[in-house]
Amino acid sequence: MPAFAGLVVGIGLVGALLLAVVLVRNTDEFLPWALVCLGVAYTVSLFVHGSAVDTGAPLVAAGMLLCGELAAWSLDARHAIAAEREVVLRRALALAALTLAGLGAAAAVIAFAASSFGGGLGWTVLGAVAAVAVVGLAAQLVRRTA
Amino acid sequence: MTRIVSPRLAAYAGLAAVGLLAGLALGRVELIALAAPFALAAVAAAAPARDPQIEATLVLDRERALESEDVHATLELLSPRGSDRVEILLPLPSELRTTADNPRAVALAPGVPRTIELPIRCERWGAFAVGPLLLRARDRLGFHSWEARLGGRAPLRVYPSVETLHALLPPLDTQVFVGNQVSRAKGEGIEFADVREWRPGDRMRRINWRASARRGELWVNEQHPERNTDVVLFLDTFIDVGSGGRGTLDLTVRAATSLAHRYLQRKDRVGLVSFGGFLSWLLPASGALQLYRIVDSLLQMDIVLSFAAKGVDVLPPRTLPPKALVLALTPLLDPRSAAALLDLRARGFDLVVIEVSPVPFVHPGKDELAQLSYRVWRLSRESLRARYEQAGVPVVEWLDGVPLNVPLEEVAAFRRYARPARA
Repeated sequence: MPAFAGLVVGIGLVGALLLAVVLVRNTDEFLPWALVCLGVAYTVSLFVHGSAVDTGAPLVAAGMLLCGELAAWSLDARHAIAAEREVVLRRALALAALTLAGLGAAAAVIAFAASSFGGGLGWTVLGAVAAVAVVGLAAQLVRRTA
Repeated sequence: MTRIVSPRLAAYAGLAAVGLLAGLALGRVELIALAAPFALAAVAAAAPARDPQIEATLVLDRERALESEDVHATLELLSPRGSDRVEILLPLPSELRTTADNPRAVALAPGVPRTIELPIRCERWGAFAVGPLLLRARDRLGFHSWEARLGGRAPLRVYPSVETLHALLPPLDTQVFVGNQVSRAKGEGIEFADVREWRPGDRMRRINWRASARRGELWVNEQHPERNTDVVLFLDTFIDVGSGGRGTLDLTVRAATSLAHRYLQRKDRVGLVSFGGFLSWLLPASGALQLYRIVDSLLQMDIVLSFAAKGVDVLPPRTLPPKALVLALTPLLDPRSAAALLDLRARGFDLVVIEVSPVPFVHPGKDELAQLSYRVWRLSRESLRARYEQAGVPVVEWLDGVPLNVPLEEVAAFRRYARPARA
């Protein structure tokens, strides 16, 4: 167990280091990798703690999204553009709404998993189709932004 | 407007996909929950991406200004769909500066025009085109942005400030039209010149009664008439030497503006010759319009690299009228302009050379060879000056920071004691 704790801390530190690089060097290339590292560290810790569902997962998910959004906001502010108070307020409100919505979505996933009606092949197929759809969406977005 | 999608959108979609696949593969619902906010963000960001269709206008409150004056730029923005964040940058040349926020980010309400005032300080002379505006509109979370150049270009001419000149160089000869310069010739005028014996046709009011009573016959007064002069400003634009925004061309333009302004005030005719890689000229004329012509021409003056051999022969004959005072403003660096000026002197023009000194802008190197080169260069300049003086041309060195009155006074002193010999 202490060995796994070291692994979790190590991966988490790599993620934090990447995030620091993103913020210091004003480059957004490493931002997804920083989030991936944080996610991997969390995944390892999940397996270390056993098979019980972690009810704190929605908070971790919302926290990671908030972390990514705040880092992106910092990167946007690197050009020293004087922004009106209203502009800042609108983004802060949108960020808060997105984080809360993400928290709600993650909580809904955990809640659905804990409910009794979610078993069987049909749900597995539905989950696989959803995963494939999200991967397809990701591929399309990557192609459009490239 | 050009649409740009943030790479963050693809990254979030990728993270969501990885989370979902990992959750399915490892059988952990927490990973699905971890992916859910990123999937939600990607979907939410992809949905409402609409071009804000911003229209922008840029207007300056005037097209002409003097150095160190402020010009107000008014930017008007309108978006039928509104925008949560519009970043505006008005690119300004280094000679113009704004004290307001530039760039700045504003929010636009749908269909409501937004006016932004931007004071622009004109720090140096020149002819500029302000604009177009660089705009970048973003959605609320910055997933999508639209960029465009809008507003067109607004011309702005910044005139150099005019130095107060106490005295001007009088040409050796005047012209035939009335002006403010007392001619050396005798005729109708105000300044007393001499007395002479009365001749038939002389007006009675010109009789000097005292002299007539003393000599027992009629004597009349003679006056110097007030005439105008022709002045040609001969600018050497082959080479510019400068540092930190100041340089020989800058000084040349400032001096030429001050001289043209002052001579035209005296009702003289002033012409302009820009002798350099790009040759341009203005025929001598008088009046306020000529001042605008000269200053507009000076604003567009620039150094154009050229290896073509040029002499004064390329100038149209009327550019250099007879008896004109040719005031040359030159850094004495290009042999072509140096030779052209000597040629002008040889043709009998009343020539004055104001050497716009490049010395303050040239720093001798630290090693021995560089310092030796510097000294040789200074000596070669001395030698060139001596050649002009041998030809009877007054040459004065004008250093940056010294008022223009000083070299003009030096030339006046030179001409008091050393006048060109006449055949």
